[in-house]
Amino acid sequence: MTKNIHTVIIAKDLADLIPVFIRNRQKEIETLRTALAAGDFEQLRQLGHRMRGVGNSYGFAMISEVGKQLEDGVKGGDKAAIAACIGEYADFLDKMQIVYE
Amino acid sequence: MNDRAAAGSTADAPADYRVLVVDDDLDMVAFLARLLRDEGLKVETAGDGASALMQVMTSPPDLILLDVMMPGVSGFDVCRQLKGDESTALIPIVLVTALDDSESRVRGIEAGADDFLSKPVKREELIARVKTLRRLHDTRKELESRRLAAEVQRKEAIRQAFSRYISPRLADRIAEAAGEYGDPFQGRAQRTSVVALFADLRGFTRLTERNDVGTVVAMLNEYFAVLTEAAYQHDGTIFNMAGDSLLVGFNVPFPQPDAAERAWRTALEMVARFEPVAASWRERHGLEVGVGIGMCAGDAIIGNVGSTHYASYTIIGNPVNTAARLMQMAAAGEVLVCGPLFERIRHLVPAGRVAIRGDVTLRGKSESIPVFAVRAEARENA
Repeated sequence: MTKNIHTVIIAKDLADLIPVFIRNRQKEIETLRTALAAGDFEQLRQLGHRMRGVGNSYGFAMISEVGKQLEDGVKGGDKAAIAACIGEYADFLDKMQIVYE
Repeated sequence: MNDRAAAGSTADAPADYRVLVVDDDLDMVAFLARLLRDEGLKVETAGDGASALMQVMTSPPDLILLDVMMPGVSGFDVCRQLKGDESTALIPIVLVTALDDSESRVRGIEAGADDFLSKPVKREELIARVKTLRRLHDTRKELESRRLAAEVQRKEAIRQAFSRYISPRLADRIAEAAGEYGDPFQGRAQRTSVVALFADLRGFTRLTERNDVGTVVAMLNEYFAVLTEAAYQHDGTIFNMAGDSLLVGFNVPFPQPDAAERAWRTALEMVARFEPVAASWRERHGLEVGVGIGMCAGDAIIGNVGSTHYASYTIIGNPVNTAARLMQMAAAGEVLVCGPLFERIRHLVPAGRVAIRGDVTLRGKSESIPVFAVRAEARENA
C-alpha cells in the first residue's frame, strides 16, 4: 500500500481510528527502547509479534515489516539489529504522510 | 497504556447477529469492530481471555473472533473451554492470529476452532469468513426451528392419537412427557398392576327393543358421553367400548398411586352423572335403566394387540375378567368390588352402603373370591 516509505494510503473509513493508532505506535517506540535497554527479549518479541499483526491490517505494511524484523532479531539475539529496527520504525513514524482513499 | 483502553464493549448496529471480538491489542479490536459494524453486525469486545469467558457465559454471542497470543488465558485456552462446555460448544470460533506455522493451526484445531484468520487481517477475507459462518448460523437456526415445529407437530399427533383412550388432560401430560418416557402406547406389552372398571347399562335390552335404530344410537351416545366424562374426570384410560359396556383402566399407561380411589370416584361419578339421563329416559320412553359397575384390581397385560391392519391398546388378565363378571352381576346403581380392591377404598365407602356378598364363584372361575356390593345411587363426598 505504500508508494514510498513516507506515504501511506489508508482506507477512508478507518480515518477516525488513525490518530489513536499513531499515538499508540509512538508509545510503542518508547516501550521498545526500554525493553531493549533492559535486554527484555521476550517483551521485544511480543511487541514485534503485535506490530506484525496490526500494522498492515490498518494498511501500514512498513509496521508489519519492522515487526517481523524485530521477531527475527530477537531470535538471533542481535541487539544492534534490533536497535536498527527501532530506529527505522521511529524514522518512519516521524516522516510518514497518510493519504486516505 | 494503550490509547484505546477507554474503548469498552459497545454495540451500535441494529442487528441480531452478535460477534464478540477478543484481542489484547485494542487497536486490533477497534479495527475488527469497525469492519464488522460496517457490515451491519452487532459487535462486543473483550481485552483478555478471562473477560471473554465471562462475557460468553453471561451473554453468548453468535460468533467469536479470538486472538491467540494473549497474556493470562490464551486464545487456545478460551477456545478449549468454550468448546468443552455443552452450552457454548456450538458457538463458532475463528482464531485470529499472526501465527502462521502449521503447528499452531493444529493446536487451534485440537482446541476446537472452527476457522482461522491470519494477521495482518485482510478486510475481504474477514468479511467472507464471517458471512460464511453467519450463513451456517442462519441455517442451523432454521433447522432448529424446523425441528421444534416438528416436535410440536409430533406431540400434537400423539395427543390426538391418545385422546381416543384418555382425557385431554392426560393426553397433554403424555405428549409433554413423550420425550422423557417415550410413547407409552407404542412400547412393548408389559404386565403391570391395574384397577379395571367395567360399567354397563341395566335395561339396555328393553331399550333396543322399544326404540328405532336412530333413537337407540342417540341414547347410547348420550349414555357413553356421560360415562366417558366421568372416566376422564379421574384420568382413567378407556380401553373398550362395546354394546353398552365400557372398560376403564387405572394405573395405566402411567402409574397412579391412588388408582383404587380414582376408580371408586369414577364409579360414583358415573352413577351420579347418569341419574338425570335415566330420569329423562324414564319420562320420555318409560324405561327403567341404571348403570351397573364391576371393579377389580390385580396384575394384567397391557399393550397393543392386533395385526398390522388393526391393533388396539388392550388390557388383558384376571382383574379385567373378574370386573366383567362383577359388572354382569351388579344391579342398577350398584358397584361390585372384589375383596382386595375393597380394602383399598374401604375408608371412602360409607359403612351403611356396603353389603358383603361373601365368597362368590364367578362363571368360568374355579376359585371363589370375596365380593362387596356398594350402593352408589347418590353422589358421595369422596
